[in-house]
Amino acid sequence: MTLINRRSVLKGAAAGAAGLIAAPAIAQAKFPSRPVTVVCPWGAGGGTDAVVRIIGALLEKSLGQPFNVVNRTGGSGVVGHSAIASAAPDGYTLGIITSEIAMMHHQGLTKLTYADYTPLALMNSDPPGVQVRGDSPYKTVVELAEAIKTAPAGKMKASGTGQGGIWHLALIGWLQAMGLKPDHVAWVPSNGAAPAMQDLAAGGIDLVTCSVPEARAMLDAGKARSLAIMAAERNPQFKDVPTLKEAMNINFTLGSWRGIGGPKNLPPDIAKLLSAELKKIYEAKEYKDFMDSRGLTMIYANAEDFRKYMADSDKAMGDFMKAGGLARG
Amino acid sequence: MAAIETAFGLVFQFQVLAVILGAAMFGMFVGAMPGLTATMATALLVPVTFFMDPVPALGAIVTATAMAIFAGDIPAAMLRMPGTPASAAYADESYEMTKKGQLDLCMGVNLVFSVMGGIFGVIVLIVLAPALAELAINFSSFEYFWLACLGLTCAVFIGSGDVVKGLLSLFLGLAIGTVGIDPAAGQPRFTFDNVDLLAGINFIPTLIGMFAVSELLRGAVSLDQGSAMVQQQVGRLLRGVGGVWRKYWKNFFRGSILGSLIGALPGAGSDIAAWVSYALSKKLSKEPEKFGTGHIEGIVDATSANNAALGGAWIPALVFGIPGDSITAIVIGVLYMKGMNPGPSVFLQTPQLIYAVFIIFILANLIMFPLGWAAIKSAKQILRVPRNILLPVILIFCMVGSFAMTNSLYGIVLMAVMGVFGWFLEEHGVPVAPLILGLVLGEMLEQNFMTSMIKSDGSFLVFFERPIAGVLGVCTVVIWGLMLWRMLPFGKRTQIVPEGEVTPP
Amino acid sequence: MRFNDTIVGAAFVLLAAAMIALTFSFPSFPGQNYGPSLFPRILGAGIILCSLVLIIRDRREVKAPWLKLAAWTRDPRKVLSFALMIAAMLFYIFASETLGFIPCAFAIQIVLFLWFGVKPVTAVIVAVAMTLLVNWFFGSMMLVPLPRGILDSLL
Repeated sequence: MTLINRRSVLKGAAAGAAGLIAAPAIAQAKFPSRPVTVVCPWGAGGGTDAVVRIIGALLEKSLGQPFNVVNRTGGSGVVGHSAIASAAPDGYTLGIITSEIAMMHHQGLTKLTYADYTPLALMNSDPPGVQVRGDSPYKTVVELAEAIKTAPAGKMKASGTGQGGIWHLALIGWLQAMGLKPDHVAWVPSNGAAPAMQDLAAGGIDLVTCSVPEARAMLDAGKARSLAIMAAERNPQFKDVPTLKEAMNINFTLGSWRGIGGPKNLPPDIAKLLSAELKKIYEAKEYKDFMDSRGLTMIYANAEDFRKYMADSDKAMGDFMKAGGLARG
Repeated sequence: MAAIETAFGLVFQFQVLAVILGAAMFGMFVGAMPGLTATMATALLVPVTFFMDPVPALGAIVTATAMAIFAGDIPAAMLRMPGTPASAAYADESYEMTKKGQLDLCMGVNLVFSVMGGIFGVIVLIVLAPALAELAINFSSFEYFWLACLGLTCAVFIGSGDVVKGLLSLFLGLAIGTVGIDPAAGQPRFTFDNVDLLAGINFIPTLIGMFAVSELLRGAVSLDQGSAMVQQQVGRLLRGVGGVWRKYWKNFFRGSILGSLIGALPGAGSDIAAWVSYALSKKLSKEPEKFGTGHIEGIVDATSANNAALGGAWIPALVFGIPGDSITAIVIGVLYMKGMNPGPSVFLQTPQLIYAVFIIFILANLIMFPLGWAAIKSAKQILRVPRNILLPVILIFCMVGSFAMTNSLYGIVLMAVMGVFGWFLEEHGVPVAPLILGLVLGEMLEQNFMTSMIKSDGSFLVFFERPIAGVLGVCTVVIWGLMLWRMLPFGKRTQIVPEGEVTPP
Repeated sequence: MRFNDTIVGAAFVLLAAAMIALTFSFPSFPGQNYGPSLFPRILGAGIILCSLVLIIRDRREVKAPWLKLAAWTRDPRKVLSFALMIAAMLFYIFASETLGFIPCAFAIQIVLFLWFGVKPVTAVIVAVAMTLLVNWFFGSMMLVPLPRGILDSLL
């Protein structure tokens, strides 16, 4: 806390000093007149990083100033989200906001919520899938569901991310939709989807609820199979995997979503300009091609709808977390 | 097969080759400068490689370290100051040779056997790593828990002269690693409501602090301690090397095998490999009385061993994500940043990158020959770069590098604190290498322990139930028993590495 | 500078005790026997154990003097060199956001160069060249957001 505070104070002082020298120039210049920083709360090379980099590159192309992606990682996303929220609301610091913003304050990790941001646009949301080992006896999600129901509570083990992470909530939601207790399947925390898939292949756990693109390497190697996805529609990249609704008539969907936003109180004209650009990017062929190649699911909401989406997500995630005994404070 | 072709395509690109060449010259320079170590070269490279594609990034690290380990031999022979700790084992021997007028032979042997030892280590890596990965694909958290235990234990067991201080350092590293969000329950620990601490103790700034800043602090108070440079001209390097090979080829193989093995053991790197193989060479030699008087035999063993250790260290790093030495500890961090999470699945997912690393390894050792030749020839100019200019410049690099890792001042704060702390520890004979290893492996250890406990519903016996886990577990417990024995006052103490010589590997 | 193992050991015992004390405020892990406090406690105990062995060994066998000062601590110039290195880092931490990378890096290098006895002309040339090189390489090529500080409007 102290560091951030002192830094923002210093930043303010620096901005003030710079303003004295160059105030007229900045006031007249059209946004953006200098490079824009886009904060990514997750590591380089990951899915969020990939999405924000393609958006940054396309913004740079249309607005003529560099949009530099800066990874501020750690603390389950808290560090990066704090950096976005505490930046000066001048449009020169933006960021990619991910579904964790709807979760981490329920967990007591931070006080930040979606209300601390100026939403610009929702750009992507990946649904979780249900993966089992390649040589697993369960051929369909119905067979797996039966096995889960008949097994004693806590016997079956699932993984996919850390305790209270998005894919943990997906499992809780699915279990609840089947009328089971949230801890009927024990959650084994893992350091992301890749180690969970590795553990699945090694026979350490029974199922993994992570998004299908994250499971792709093990699926392609035949070490794992995807039985269903918790989405409204099938993923065009994985046409054979049915939705939960098709397979079990369970209407439960959830997504790990990502959108672009800035700190609270962004100047309205700048916010409007950026929102319009993001809509153009969402409709651009480059964005679609990129997302398809990665197997990522596209979804769009404009600034106002994105705010509502975040509020709904915040409430839903909060309910799952309370049900799972994960909420604190 | 297609993966190997792709790998060649990935490596033989102008940009990649240019990066490798640049890294090679950088490594040569850092290695040749006394006081700048191969680990430091790697730590300073990471911020630069951060922004590259995986292949040039890994290529830069592989090449720079290979060069640095060889280049450390140059000032050892000319100034009696090892350029890196890996050359310390035979610095006196080399200098004695120089005094006898055998600088040419000494440098020639160092160069040729470094190249060959390096290639030997790479071959061991290429043969063993994929085979082990095949096995490791069936590893679950139980096996990884024991592997992490075994790795940490090795670090203390072989790594340092004083077991108690090594163990203390390891515990400190593990404790520092618990800062941040815990890997199992997702709860913040020791964060004092600070957002930056929530992200944990970032590894690279810590490493830059412990290995580079502490070295700068030591350097700042010893600027005046230069040694007289020998005035001998370097002549024909290769004359006599053939004769050495015919006489001591067994020593080469012994040193290389030992080096690769020690490299592969977690926690022990090139410097330990050199000490052990030098000591073994002396023990098995027909003329041990000549050692220390400028005798080439021990140098053959040790200079092959320290370069072979580099390749060996990559085996556990790539296959299990457990570093074989401090350099691969950094490499693992880089692999994670590139989305190539080390472990058996990386051999499945991106085999072309693994092959690319192998190719670069061989390439690096091949270009070591001409570049090393040039470095020896121009050694006098390289060694003349004044340290009073180097020190402040490196300090700037350290700060920018640490900043780049977190993109905030937190990285620099961390670097400064860890630099002073690392300096303090080493002043008191506490080695920092186990600490770094603890920091890298701490999360893996805790995560795998907690997940195993959840999977086994709280039973300890399950840790020995799976066959491989059982074997690993028993090995670990046996080694712990041996260690306790050594810690007790009546236990036998053996010390290969002299007191005060265990510096950052 | 070297304290004897008794002092070092005692310091680490205190540190580890504080660490263990802090773990009592950690929440438990729902449904599990072991929570986030388990590992820090084991490690704290390990540190204490090692420290105690150090203390006992020092008291029984070595009996080193409480504080042994290295030779350089008697040379005020070298003590200042040491302090300057640390001061340089502190200066950068506190001033870089306000002043920016270029002025800070330049100032640090000039001061250290001159103190370490580099000729003034060489010092200025190297400081200017290295500052611009680092700024170009990390700032422009690698896109590290180096603080712009007072030069914000010029860059």
